[in-house]
Amino acid sequence: MAIDVRGLGVRYSLRFTRKTTLHRSFIRLLRRGEGQTTFWALSDVTFKLEQGESLAVIGPNGAGKSTLLQVLAGIILPSAGSIDVRGAVSSLLTLGAGFDQELTGRENIRLAGAFMGMDRRDVDQRMEAIVAFADIGEFIDAPIKTYSTGMRARLGFAIATSVDPDILLLDEVLATGDQLFREKSKARVLELVRAAKAIVLVTHDMNWVTEYCNRAVLLEKGRIVLEGDPADVVALHQEHTARLKAEKAAELERQMAGKAVPAPPRPG
Amino acid sequence: MWSRRRLVRYLVSADLKKKGADTLLGNVWWVLDPLLQMLVYVVLVSIIFARPQPDYPLFIFAAILPWKWFTSSIQDSISSVTSQERLIKQLQFPKIVLPTAAAGAGVVNFGFGLVALAGLLLLFYRDRVTVELLLIPAIAVVQLAFTLALALAASAVNVFYRDIGNLARHALRLWFYLSPSLWGAAQLEQLAASHPTMATIAQLNPFYILFTAYRDVIYFGRAPNWTSLIALLGVSLGLIGLAIFFFKRLEPSFAKVL
Repeated sequence: MAIDVRGLGVRYSLRFTRKTTLHRSFIRLLRRGEGQTTFWALSDVTFKLEQGESLAVIGPNGAGKSTLLQVLAGIILPSAGSIDVRGAVSSLLTLGAGFDQELTGRENIRLAGAFMGMDRRDVDQRMEAIVAFADIGEFIDAPIKTYSTGMRARLGFAIATSVDPDILLLDEVLATGDQLFREKSKARVLELVRAAKAIVLVTHDMNWVTEYCNRAVLLEKGRIVLEGDPADVVALHQEHTARLKAEKAAELERQMAGKAVPAPPRPG
Repeated sequence: MWSRRRLVRYLVSADLKKKGADTLLGNVWWVLDPLLQMLVYVVLVSIIFARPQPDYPLFIFAAILPWKWFTSSIQDSISSVTSQERLIKQLQFPKIVLPTAAAGAGVVNFGFGLVALAGLLLLFYRDRVTVELLLIPAIAVVQLAFTLALALAASAVNVFYRDIGNLARHALRLWFYLSPSLWGAAQLEQLAASHPTMATIAQLNPFYILFTAYRDVIYFGRAPNWTSLIALLGVSLGLIGLAIFFFKRLEPSFAKVL
């Protein structure tokens, strides 16, 4: 068993957000007990992942997919339930997050290695492979601030995939860089998928899900709606998406119609 | 924290590179900055009080030198965690390296201040050059310990209350004036005669101990009060322990709040 998640719940406190200040807290203290103070991003999520399995997590935006990966990566602690992750985890969440603009590509590789907890020898060993894969020429010795977005993504991808983890967590990494690099990165991810013992992947690319994953879960509003064969799960997701779209269209139409009734007064 | 010392070292050197690259004159400003600030206070105090201490510029500089270091370290470390928001949400690593590196990078600020001090002494106050100047690093170690404790706590609190930086700016300014920066131990003795309790409270201020110690070795050319310095070091180490505990308690919530 690689991953065992039981009754997992993640609660966010709305009391503290990135916008909280002493000033606001004071105001809230004055108008006590107003509004909701907590929010469950995930609730009662249970699944197991055996070695060699590849699990796709799909669902609409805000369903808790990324939160689930963050919990598996140990970035967020569960508020309820338990998780058991066996083996070294590597998370290829959004790439190039820790880049320092003033440092060169090479220096950033060392910095990223240190953040990931690699020792110096490990980093030195992987250096040339990373540089070769990123394939950004002389820019590797120039500060990151001179890079294009594509170059940054390539270097980020090269660093993130340089490790060989037991458990790989992927969050929408398949959509970086130009067409050519996308092909190359797809090949690299597949290589990792084959080498890793278990994979959890968040994506909107349904072809990838049916093609390369052997299991899938559909998350909606923080709960698992369906778990099972990728084809079934994708079908249900597409059904829900279509229904949601239809509902939204109907809602929009109603609004338009509602607006049309009290006709705006015409000048003259 | 020890296991990630290489990470701290990288972060410190990255930070220094950034600061040096920001301005054209880079390092020159780091030397000039405390000198210019000294000049402002000299002019101000000379006008208001009319009869300052002898060699008043050096008297003030002995306080400005450590204070610049302290404030820049605290201000940098306050934002050290929140500025790495993206990384914190994507990678599990000991966040405590961030304020530690910020406080560590601040030491360089002090280094440049020492260059300014050397210039000041050699050009204008040659008769005040004494062997006691060599004791400055010992006092700096005590200050570093105290700074680190505050830096760790402040960086963690700033994740939850983003206006700590604003608050700190004003609190630090007040702290500077309440410490014997522009005034000295002589004024405190006068205060002790009329308000003994207030004088005692003033003496418990860590920067009363630090400023007095720096001034003893730089301005008066005499040994500092070791007893109070060692006491402050002990208290600071205790505070570091407390701050680490506090930081670790809050750390799991960082990724959620950011």
